[in-house]
Amino acid sequence: MPPASELNRPPALVIEFRKVGKTYRSLLGNSVKAVEEFSLQVVEGEILGIAGPNGAGKTTLIAMMLGYLRPTTGAVEINGLPARTYVERNGIGYLSELIAIHPKWRADTALVRYATLAGIPDAEIPSRVDEVIDKLGLAEHRDKKVKALSKGNLQRLGLAQALLRDDQILVLDEPTHGLDPVWTQRFRGIVEELRRPDRTILIASHNLDELQRLADRVAIIDHGRLQRVVSTGYEQSASAAVTRFRLTLAGGFDRIRESFPLAESAGRGEYDVTVRSIQELNTALADLISRGALVASVVPERSVLEQQFREAVGESQ
Amino acid sequence: MSRGRLGKYSLWQFRDFAIDRGIAILIIGLLWGYTLIQPLRLAMGPAFSMKPSSPTWPLLITVASSVVWLSVLIALNGIVSTDRKMGYYRFLFSKPVSVVAYYAQLFLVYMVGVVAAMLILSGILHTIVPDFSIVNFLLYTALIFVAMGGIGFFISVATRYDWVTLAAVWLGSRALREFYGAKPGLRGMLVQLLPPVHKLNDVANGMISNGSAPTSDVIWLLGYGAVFFVLGLLLLRHGSLAD
Repeated sequence: MPPASELNRPPALVIEFRKVGKTYRSLLGNSVKAVEEFSLQVVEGEILGIAGPNGAGKTTLIAMMLGYLRPTTGAVEINGLPARTYVERNGIGYLSELIAIHPKWRADTALVRYATLAGIPDAEIPSRVDEVIDKLGLAEHRDKKVKALSKGNLQRLGLAQALLRDDQILVLDEPTHGLDPVWTQRFRGIVEELRRPDRTILIASHNLDELQRLADRVAIIDHGRLQRVVSTGYEQSASAAVTRFRLTLAGGFDRIRESFPLAESAGRGEYDVTVRSIQELNTALADLISRGALVASVVPERSVLEQQFREAVGESQ
Repeated sequence: MSRGRLGKYSLWQFRDFAIDRGIAILIIGLLWGYTLIQPLRLAMGPAFSMKPSSPTWPLLITVASSVVWLSVLIALNGIVSTDRKMGYYRFLFSKPVSVVAYYAQLFLVYMVGVVAAMLILSGILHTIVPDFSIVNFLLYTALIFVAMGGIGFFISVATRYDWVTLAAVWLGSRALREFYGAKPGLRGMLVQLLPPVHKLNDVANGMISNGSAPTSDVIWLLGYGAVFFVLGLLLLRHGSLAD
């Protein structure tokens, strides 16, 4: 049991982007700013989402975090070290958006190679490889060459190599790209299992629903700039201005307008209702149920994140 | 958590070399030697001789030395640039390994691979031409690998089109040296900075035939390659892997 002072301490800073900028310059003198003045801190135990439209600068940010790209301005530090130095000393579990593994390698030997580079002792490599192969459901594909794998299986192989080591930091760039719905759901379970007080996870994704479910905070970027950082918990939106929900009733349809006077019917027992806060929604729902209506589901028309994303990206444009 | 085990990974690097490049080098070396020497042998009949004093000896040296530089070209092709072009660096270097140490080791592994391939080829040649020294030939191979390979390594770090660039640098240096090398003035001085390809013929003749070559030429070739190899490592250390 850790001492009380340890339990009460604030989570340690793990990743820090300090006024990071990246400008690409062509030989002809043209320049494109991919990332500008990006500052953000990520603490241990946190799952941070990175969202943004295509070309927003997400992958460039990750490349700078892994030390694959040098920032034009500013710096990225991990545990107080320059990013590349940290990676060379400790490694990072990384799944890239583009899965690039030599096409002639066999799936399982690719994992053995990465495990060797990752510093896993010889005696542990077979069991560790078997473990990630089982976890990612690749057993029947382990003997196949990489070039023979489908997009989804290749994505799972990419994730498998990222999970070989017990890394303190995981970076997953578009992790569910190419996965079928079953594996998309399983992936969420895997990430939840990976959550640990001393582990930091970054997930870059277009899929706002996925980030809403997995991340604690989401950094929304557009045109290479941090637009805002959104906490995904609903408590944050308790006093949100106006939110629309879709209500599905299983009975007592005629009671709806007594509790929600402005409810709009969407057919088949579904109604769109607009409220100014979560409290107002709950009060009206309690009233509706007390009047004998049967509520089957209440779904926000847009998640907190989706709403913030639309506002942030809209504002930046 | 432990650091990556780069030394152990050298076995995988050697395996990749053997499959992707070593076999090709052996096939090209055998075909090259056979197609150049066999017709001569048939044409000359009993007069054919491969003694150091015979007129066919310089041909043998030319064939042997060209197999070496061609092998170095094949070995070094894409040594760094392929990983960058294809994106293989992403998973390799998210592991706790030094990029500089990884490619320095790869260069050494490929050198061992080329020398091993030349050992096989020269072993075969030695059975036909007993005067052909395997040791001298391997020393020459190692020298050319450092001299030419060092430049090739730097080009592979600096550009995506390393094979073409290295060939252009090699041939361009030879042409410019022949054209301006003997001329006085600035141009004549500047071409002296180009890769010392003009020294290769003399070094090949000396090293393969007698195991000796002018020390200054050997130092010049080794130094030139070593400087560019180190420059390549520095570029890897301070540059970007991604585009």
